[in-house]
Amino acid sequence: MAYVIGIDIGGTFTDAFAADEHGKVAGVKTPSTPPDFSQGFLTVLDELAGSLGTTTEDLLADTHYIVHGTTSTLNALVTGDVATVGFLTTRGHADSIAIMNLEGRYAGLGADQVQDMVRTAKPAPLVPPRLVREINERIDHKGSVVVELDEDGTRTAIRELVAAGAQAIAVSLLWSFRNPAHEKRIGELVAEEAPDAYVALSCEVSPRIREYSRSATTIMNTQVGPRLRDYLRPLEAELRSRGFEGSLLVMQGSGGCVDSADAPSRAITTIGSVLTGGVVGCTRLASELGHRNVISTDMGGTTFLAGLVVDGEPVSTTSTVLNQHQLNVPMVDVHTIGAGGGAIAWVDSGGNLHVGPRSAGARPGPACYGEGGTEPTVTDVDLLLGIVNPDNFLGGRKQLSKELAAESVRKHIAEPLGLSVDDACAAVYAIQNAQTADLVRKVVVTSGHDPRDFVLYAFGGAGPMHCASYAADLDVSEVVVPLGPTAAVFSAYGLAASDIVLTAELSAPSNFPVEPEVFNGAFAGLRRELESRLSAQALRFSEVAYRNEVDMRYTMQLAEVATPVPTGELDAADLDAVGASFGQRYEQLYGRGSGFAEAGLQLITYRTQAVGVLPIRPTLGAVEQSSGDAQPTSQRRVFLDARRGWQDADIYDYGVLAEGHELKGPAVVEAPTTTVALPEGCVGRVDRLGNLVIRYTQA
Amino acid sequence: MPVIPVAGAERFANLPASPEETRRIVGDSLRLHDVDQATVDALDPLTYEVIRHRLTSITEEMGEALKRMSGSVVVTDCNDFDAAIMDEVGDVVQVGLYNTELAASLDMAANWTLRERCARPGIGPGDMFLCNDPWVGGGLHQNDVSLFAPLFVDGELFCWTGAVAHQVDLGGVSPGSWSVGGSDVFWESLPTPPVKIVEGGEIRTDIEDVWLRRSRVPKLVALDLRAKIGANNVAHERLRALCEKYGAGTVKAVMRRTMDDAESRLRAKLRELPDGSWTSVAHQDSARSGDRGIYKIVLKLTKDGDRLVFDFTGTDAQVDGLINCTFAGLRGGIMPVVLTMLCGDIPWACGGIYRCIEIISESGTINNATFPAGVGKASVASAWATMNVTTECLAGMLDTHPEHRKRLMSVCCGTWDFALLAGVDQRGLGFVTMLCDSMAGGLGARSDSDGVDTGGLAPIPMGRVADVEMNEFAFPMLYLWRREEADSGGPGRFRGGVGASSCFLPYDSPLGGVHLVVSAPGKALPLANGLSGGLPAGTQHDVLLRGTDIAAQFAAGRIPGSLAELSGSTDLLPAHHETDLGPDDVYYTHWQGGGGYGDPLLRDPVAVAADVVAHKVSPRGAEEVYGVVLDADYATDLDATTTLRAALRRSRAGVDDKEIPA
Amino acid sequence: MSVFIDENLEQDDAGLVSCRHCSARVGVAADPLRDARVRESAPRTAGPSVRAEASNFTDREVVFRQAFCPECLTLLQAEIVPADEPSFRIRSLKLVGA
Repeated sequence: MAYVIGIDIGGTFTDAFAADEHGKVAGVKTPSTPPDFSQGFLTVLDELAGSLGTTTEDLLADTHYIVHGTTSTLNALVTGDVATVGFLTTRGHADSIAIMNLEGRYAGLGADQVQDMVRTAKPAPLVPPRLVREINERIDHKGSVVVELDEDGTRTAIRELVAAGAQAIAVSLLWSFRNPAHEKRIGELVAEEAPDAYVALSCEVSPRIREYSRSATTIMNTQVGPRLRDYLRPLEAELRSRGFEGSLLVMQGSGGCVDSADAPSRAITTIGSVLTGGVVGCTRLASELGHRNVISTDMGGTTFLAGLVVDGEPVSTTSTVLNQHQLNVPMVDVHTIGAGGGAIAWVDSGGNLHVGPRSAGARPGPACYGEGGTEPTVTDVDLLLGIVNPDNFLGGRKQLSKELAAESVRKHIAEPLGLSVDDACAAVYAIQNAQTADLVRKVVVTSGHDPRDFVLYAFGGAGPMHCASYAADLDVSEVVVPLGPTAAVFSAYGLAASDIVLTAELSAPSNFPVEPEVFNGAFAGLRRELESRLSAQALRFSEVAYRNEVDMRYTMQLAEVATPVPTGELDAADLDAVGASFGQRYEQLYGRGSGFAEAGLQLITYRTQAVGVLPIRPTLGAVEQSSGDAQPTSQRRVFLDARRGWQDADIYDYGVLAEGHELKGPAVVEAPTTTVALPEGCVGRVDRLGNLVIRYTQA
Repeated sequence: MPVIPVAGAERFANLPASPEETRRIVGDSLRLHDVDQATVDALDPLTYEVIRHRLTSITEEMGEALKRMSGSVVVTDCNDFDAAIMDEVGDVVQVGLYNTELAASLDMAANWTLRERCARPGIGPGDMFLCNDPWVGGGLHQNDVSLFAPLFVDGELFCWTGAVAHQVDLGGVSPGSWSVGGSDVFWESLPTPPVKIVEGGEIRTDIEDVWLRRSRVPKLVALDLRAKIGANNVAHERLRALCEKYGAGTVKAVMRRTMDDAESRLRAKLRELPDGSWTSVAHQDSARSGDRGIYKIVLKLTKDGDRLVFDFTGTDAQVDGLINCTFAGLRGGIMPVVLTMLCGDIPWACGGIYRCIEIISESGTINNATFPAGVGKASVASAWATMNVTTECLAGMLDTHPEHRKRLMSVCCGTWDFALLAGVDQRGLGFVTMLCDSMAGGLGARSDSDGVDTGGLAPIPMGRVADVEMNEFAFPMLYLWRREEADSGGPGRFRGGVGASSCFLPYDSPLGGVHLVVSAPGKALPLANGLSGGLPAGTQHDVLLRGTDIAAQFAAGRIPGSLAELSGSTDLLPAHHETDLGPDDVYYTHWQGGGGYGDPLLRDPVAVAADVVAHKVSPRGAEEVYGVVLDADYATDLDATTTLRAALRRSRAGVDDKEIPA
Repeated sequence: MSVFIDENLEQDDAGLVSCRHCSARVGVAADPLRDARVRESAPRTAGPSVRAEASNFTDREVVFRQAFCPECLTLLQAEIVPADEPSFRIRSLKLVGA
């Protein structure tokens, strides 16, 4: 036997998925155990072993690697439970982290918050002034030294910071990505003056132009690095003591993982760890189903996440925003675009009905939970419209109250608008779906694509209740609701099926095309760096692939576009082709005729991604084939479409469905983890892996 | 030379026309789409909310498209642009969250075009009109270039979309088109009334050539023209699909109701406030280089029931120079503050909001100037001063109400600190750029909290500054520092946000130096006043050091941390100035913070100590203005503070000193 | 019933304006700072925020003008303006019921 395991630790649940090389799979779920999440990690392993009919020791002994998605770094940053960091920067520029390019006042906020400008504020600076020191040194835009490094002053500054309580030191100097000599020397001085301190240099963490986000990235990395190290070391030791000889890997925001020994030095790359599992799961399932382009939608109780898979790869971004700080972290581009099932419906002072963006969250939650929530939410409406079975929510784990839901809709929506409770619910349902379609559409369009070229995947507890409606507005060809053995632990499945992904980058802004030897030399340097990091991962790979890209722009424009570059030595003609491919990508993003080649091109950043493909890839087995038609277990009145009103719908129990079963809307499918709504005009078909595939037969 | 009246100019002196008047003038030359009130009334809440949300989404997409395609730092990095959807007569249904000052007069430009262009050359599908005539509207000064496009559905003009952005140079005597020596509009960029630059979907190359020929950076202007075309195209595609799905009548009904909704909610908010009048003044020092005058805009804001009257009677007459603004600029000064302070929770449908507002202003004054007065820096001169005085009056009105006072701000960064660099860059190419660092002005204090330090400018909810590295890469300059400036935020019980400074030298240009144009008032007196006993923010402060020892200091391993650490002659720059910087010259520009709120002696002493540690307030400021005594570790000495505050309370009021009667 | 003009001042039904800190009479609705103690001084007395003398930039005299509660000396209004201009800053609430 040879197992791979994915373990995804979220705020509420810890999910695990295991697969062997013969297609045997298992998925289990246990509650998370904050603040010590490693407890839940070990518990879920025990349950996984039980589900596979073996012991934890035997399972661990046969496991090649465990891929871990962890919320620990993100949690540390959000709660502020981080290491005390001292910050060294170039003289004259300490305030960069306070000025935050001024965008720190609104970065990452929703439009409704930005509009309420008077109430916006910046977060506290990442490092308080008493822990910041400016160093006499200066490098210019070409990388030439303008002012030599003041070593004595630097030593004094380090000693002062340690005396002031700094446990770790972040160093970010102007233009260090062009010439890292001063930063590297400061790294040595820190090692001499404060040998125990964790230190991070911006030229290593994020060698990219724009000092504010480079400094912010380096500082946050320094804040969480020691924390991640202190979490992973004992966890790995515990696994070893239980007989685990494989590799413990940590999922990164980029959708690829990294060895746990390497993770703390680049801790910031793990902040998207738990967000990306769903998109990675979609990517793997899409390759099984032969879908090239997928919109991934994950609607849970408190958030709605949307991501894209294009040509079989997750769409990524080179930066992200956390706590209003701009960070250089390569991430799968996951957009939080709404409030999920907890989104509150409300009527404004002008008598207009809105849904969200405020959410009732997990506490008090929707009114129907009976836990103190009084405002009506999307989940309350789903219940009143007959979509959710009050006795079968979360597999029957939570009993819902229709009375409380109806009371809340009546008081807050129906009466103020002079509508019946039914009509109020129908309006909320339709508005939620239309808004979701608007937002998902924007995600697709702003990345340069057309929703009609996509299949939409819907998962999360609430996604399948709405997907047939919001997807219809997007004109996607079909909708897939993953309902096979992975359904309950879809993200953990994604983790188990992932690869090692390492990224290296270097800004070297210049006019384009550059001399081919400069270009090839830049990528050769990145390749060497990645080869040495890959060999340090102590893993066998079935294949290692390198992908090169450059961030380019038209000379006068400041928005750069990541442009793929072929690997290998390129000549002048190849570079021209890179320029042309930038132009095409640019027009795809911004519209035909938007490019302005006469302005000339500039190359800002070189980037290489190394993908180490792991030898075991979990495969999913087929479900049983149907014999005869699907039999509904019951019928109930549902309201799925404002044009059609209340209808009798067939209710199906997912447990008795098999491949080939076709279900005609209006219908509802009740699965252990979710409920799928099929409005009239839709047909759902169970595919070979047990997923429900929804197609439209009429608008 | 005094301004001489120009015959024929009155045709361009645009005042908003009512929908009825507009329809009468358009007559049979063009079919304007309309919808009856019954359809508006019959809208169900579901359809309304779904379409309204989509219109917001389309405005956002327009902004995104424009921003990504533009080549101007001021657009891509500083968000100095905006986009809007207007109804068939030009009333604004939805404006984007960018520079609202720019978008506040798009309605005037679209409406003028309807009235003046419908017969000849005609307005048809696929046409787009370009305008940078501040008398017509669509922007506040000639650098604000708008491009607006009629959308036709079933042969009728259904609605307009518009995009507007600052262009870095459109000709005129000085680079950047801010002719600091100018006395009238003929020194400046040529105003261009609405011209059909896109016809039937294609750019008219003859018109484009006429347009670009005036600029020192024609390629940049051409690129931005395409960005605006792209933004309008994005909107039209989406609006057309919306009309196909729901019917043009329903979509238009939603547009009408969005404006009605904004109007009725603003009126409801006004009714909650006591009636009264709030009067204030905003100053500007210097109208052009060499001028030492101080000019005032006076506003009496009267709130009566659910309407606001802005009466500018008493404002100074227009002047020789570049600081005047047109009526479009005056509206552009009012609307951003109405949006941010009164409509934080109300849809930004200016078409409805304007219905609650009446404006009284005498033509020929500095914020309602007649052609050919100089208006080259109107947006940050008289339009900005109008915004400052509007801020004070609206804040005074909100201050009366326990809930609404949470959405007041004191005056934000008193003006734009304009520093324009031109010359040859490190790659040997010509360049002109406006340094946008001063986008990081301080915001005014609130009634319950401090203003945001380096938080931006009042009319731009999402401003931005470029990184030092990006500026050094793009332009031949080297920064000594960019930092927040202590004491620049207006003192108060709640402190105004601090402004900041940049200090740099020319670097790596094959010419050795760069050309510099400076236009930044607020030097003779601060422009961002405080409220309710709060003090004004600091003054603007620009210093040019000639022939310094900077090279020697670098060689010796030192980076100067203040002007005092540099040798050389010191020029205290006036508000308007144009000069060249040599390789050993260092330029220091220090822009303003926001005004304070409440008596500074009532500020929590612990907050003052924290401000000193964070370099927001100097030790001297803490003692002299706040009466706070700190020990060597910057902790507050509470007893000594109590004693000092009691003494300061008497001495600052001149008790024991001669009294000056009111 | 009184209304607040701001955090320092309130106005009663008769239109009398008084200090919210010490109840001293400060003025009347039409002229709320009529009885305030007004002091003018050089702009630099406003503190280090005034970076340079106004005389560098203008020939008009500029003053720091403050209005205080006549009793408790709380600062009610502050402005830096040309000395030859009156104070334009007036917050005048309509009398309730008037």
